[in-house]
Amino acid sequence: MAPVLVWLILFLCLMISLVKYTLALILKWSVPAATVKKDYSFQPTVSVLMPCFNEGKTVYETIESISKSNYPNDRFEVIAQDDCSVDDSYEWMLKAQRDFSNIQVRVGRNSANSGKARTVCNALQHSVAELMISIDSDCIFHPDAIRELAACFSEPKIGSVGGRVGVRNPNDNAITAIQTFIYYAAFQLYKVPENWTRSVGCISGSLFAIRRELLLEIEPKIRSRHWFGIPVNQGEDRFLTHQTLLRGYGTYINNDALCWTTVPSTLPELFKQQLRWKRSIIRDLFYTLRTLPQHVWTLHPNTVLTLVLTPLGALLGLLVVLTMLSGNPMELAGPGPLIGYLAIAAILGWVIRKYSVRETVNNPLAFGAYLAWSVVSSLFLTTLALCTLDSRDWGTRTKEQNREQEASHGDASAASR
Amino acid sequence: MATQAPPAVKKVPEEKPSVIQPMIYKSVVTVYRIFAIFTLYLVLVGVLAYGFVMGFYALSTSWAAPVILSPADDKSLDFTEKLVTSRQTLEDLNVDKKKLEDGIGEMQKHRAALEALEPELKRAITREEQHNQATGPQLLNLDKLKQADILKTQAVMAQVKEVEAAIDKDLAAGLITKGDAATQRAALNQVQSAYTDSKIGEILLTDNILEKTTVDTKSLDVLDKQAELISEIAQLDIAISVAQKQIYEETKQIDRLKAALNTAKQTPYYLSVSGGSAVNFAFVPYDNQTSASIGAAVYDCYLNMVLCRKVGTVKQIFAGEEHAIHPIFRTDIRGFLIQMQLDHPESAKSKTVFLNRKPLFF
Repeated sequence: MAPVLVWLILFLCLMISLVKYTLALILKWSVPAATVKKDYSFQPTVSVLMPCFNEGKTVYETIESISKSNYPNDRFEVIAQDDCSVDDSYEWMLKAQRDFSNIQVRVGRNSANSGKARTVCNALQHSVAELMISIDSDCIFHPDAIRELAACFSEPKIGSVGGRVGVRNPNDNAITAIQTFIYYAAFQLYKVPENWTRSVGCISGSLFAIRRELLLEIEPKIRSRHWFGIPVNQGEDRFLTHQTLLRGYGTYINNDALCWTTVPSTLPELFKQQLRWKRSIIRDLFYTLRTLPQHVWTLHPNTVLTLVLTPLGALLGLLVVLTMLSGNPMELAGPGPLIGYLAIAAILGWVIRKYSVRETVNNPLAFGAYLAWSVVSSLFLTTLALCTLDSRDWGTRTKEQNREQEASHGDASAASR
Repeated sequence: MATQAPPAVKKVPEEKPSVIQPMIYKSVVTVYRIFAIFTLYLVLVGVLAYGFVMGFYALSTSWAAPVILSPADDKSLDFTEKLVTSRQTLEDLNVDKKKLEDGIGEMQKHRAALEALEPELKRAITREEQHNQATGPQLLNLDKLKQADILKTQAVMAQVKEVEAAIDKDLAAGLITKGDAATQRAALNQVQSAYTDSKIGEILLTDNILEKTTVDTKSLDVLDKQAELISEIAQLDIAISVAQKQIYEETKQIDRLKAALNTAKQTPYYLSVSGGSAVNFAFVPYDNQTSASIGAAVYDCYLNMVLCRKVGTVKQIFAGEEHAIHPIFRTDIRGFLIQMQLDHPESAKSKTVFLNRKPLFF
C-alpha cells in the first residue's frame, strides 16, 4: 500500500509539473486573464524595506539602483535596517543615505542580531506607506520595478506581488549557469498557472510587495514564528505568501518587475542556500498539513495541490533516488536523463538568448550537470533539511566574528543575510 | 516622500508564559536532535559504505555470483525441451537408419535374384533363336511340299463332285442301295475334310514358319520382359544408392546429435536437470577469469566482503558463455559458469562468493 501511495504522489507531482509547464505556455500566449490588468496611474506610497546583514558595499549599490526608480520620488522611501552586521554594511548604508538625496533613505539598526524576518518587521515600524516592498540587500533593481509592482495592486483582491529575479552572474561557472535556467523557468513558466488563479505559492523575498495592512496583520505571526520554541528566521517570503493566501488575498508574480541577484557560484554556498530553502519548504509543508482543513476550505484547489504535493514530491524524491541507487545505480549514469536535461538546456538557452539577453548563458550544456545536483539535492539536502529544522543558521552570510558574537550572546543572535 | 511619524504599531500582547510548554518543547527538540544526529550519522555511514561497496566491486577480480539453477528456470526448461527433442530425433534417426539398412538388404537380395534370372532368360532366347534358325527353313520346305499336295488334292476334289453326282444317279437308277450311297458319300466327305485339314495345316505351318523366321510378338514379349528385368535392376540400384546416401546423411546427423548431446552433458543445465543431488553453480565474469581454476577455494563473507570463511572449492569450469546482471551495478556482464563443491550449501544463496582468496584478507 505504502509504495503505491509513494508512486501515486510522485506521479501526481510529475503530472502537476508537466501540466503546469504546458499550461504556462498556453496561458502565456493566449489567456489574457492570466495576467493582472496593471494600472500605472495607481501610485500608492511605498516603503522599500531593506534588511541587511554583512553585505558590505553591495548594499550601497542596491540603494543606488532603487534611487533610479521610475516612480515619483515623493511617493517612495527606502528603509534600510541593519541586522548588526559585523562588516562595514552600516557605513555603506549611511553613505547611500548621504549620496542619494533625491530619495528618502532611512537607516536603522537592530539592537541585536534578529534575523531577516524580524529585521523586516523592525523596518516596518518606521514606515507609514500604503505599500511595503521587502527586498534583498544584494540585488540590483530595474528602474521600473516599483512602478510595475505598485500597478498590480489596482486589483483589490491582490495582497502580495512579487517580481522576477534574474541572475547577474550567469556565466561565472556551471553552477551559476544552471541556476540561471532554473530561475528563468520558475518565473516564466512554473509560476504562470499560479498567477492565473492569483495563488502563487511562494513569492521571492528578493522583491516582495505587500499591502501595509496585511503585513501589519501578519507581523505578529512573523515575530512569534518558532519551531518547538526555537525562533524561525528563515523562509519569511514563503511564510508571508502563505499567510496572504490564507487571509483570502491573491498573490501574483509580475515578471516585468525585475531585480537582479548574484547567485551562489560555489558548491558550498549553493548547498547552504538550497538547504535553507529546503528547510523552509519542509516547515511550510508541515504547517500546511497541520492546518489542512483550513487550506482546503479557504484556498483554490490549485494552491492546495501546489502547497502539499510539491514539497511532498521533494521529500519522496529522496525515496526514489534511494530506490534507484540500491536497485540499479548505473541507471542514473545512462544517457537518457542526460539527453533530456541537455534538450531542456538547449531550448531554454535559446529562449533566454532571445528574450533576456542579459542572462544569456554562454555554455547551456552545463545544465547537464544539474542531473548530478538533483541526485545530491534529493539524497542529502532533503535528509539534512529534515534533520536540521532546529537550525537558525542562515548559512551564506555568517562571518567568523558573528560566530564569536553568537557564542557570547547565546540565543540572542541569529544568523541573517 | 513626505516624512511622517510612523503610526504606532500594535504590539502583540505577550501570552502568559506556560510552565509546561517550554519543557515539552525542550523535550521534543532534544529527542529530535538525538534522532537527527543518529539519522545523519546513519546517512554518513550509509554513504561511505555505499561508496566503498561500489569501489570494492569495481576493483575486485575474485568475486563470483552463486547461481541456483532450478529445473523450472526458463533456461533449464528450454534446455530440457531441447534435450528431449534431440534424444527423440536421435532415436527416430536410428530407427529410420535401421529401416533403410533392412530395405537395402531386401533390395539387394531382390536384385541378386533378378540378376540371376537375366542370363537364364538370355540363354532361353538364344536357344529358341537357334532352334528357329534350324527348323524355320525345314518347315518352309515342308510348306512348299504341302502346298503342292494341296494343289493335287484340289484337282482330285473336282472329281469328287462328279463322283457324288454319279452316286446320285446310281441311287436313282437303283444301281446302288441307299446304304451303299451313304457309304460312298461318307467316303467323299472324309476326302473333303482331309482336304480342308490340309489347308488348315498349311496355314498353321505358314504361321509356324513366320514365327520361326521372323521377329514375332511372342519374341517381343520376351524381349519386353527382359527389358523390364533390366529396368527393375536399375531401379533397385537407384533405390539402393538413394537409401545408402540417406543412411550416410542420417549417420552424420546421428553423429552430430550425439556430439551435441555429449556437449550438452558438459553444461551446467544438464547437471541441473538430470536430477540427483543438489548442484551449486556460480557465475564468474570474464574480468575475474584468472581467479577461477579447478580446485580453487571458494570463500563466503559477511556483508559480502568481510569475515570470510572457506565454504568449498571449484569443481568444474564450464566453457559456454553466459550473461548475467552485475549484482551491484545491475549492468549486463559476460562470463561463464563454474560448478562449486560446497561444504556449506547455504553459501549458494549468498549474493557473492570469492574465488581463490579472501577479498580483504580477513
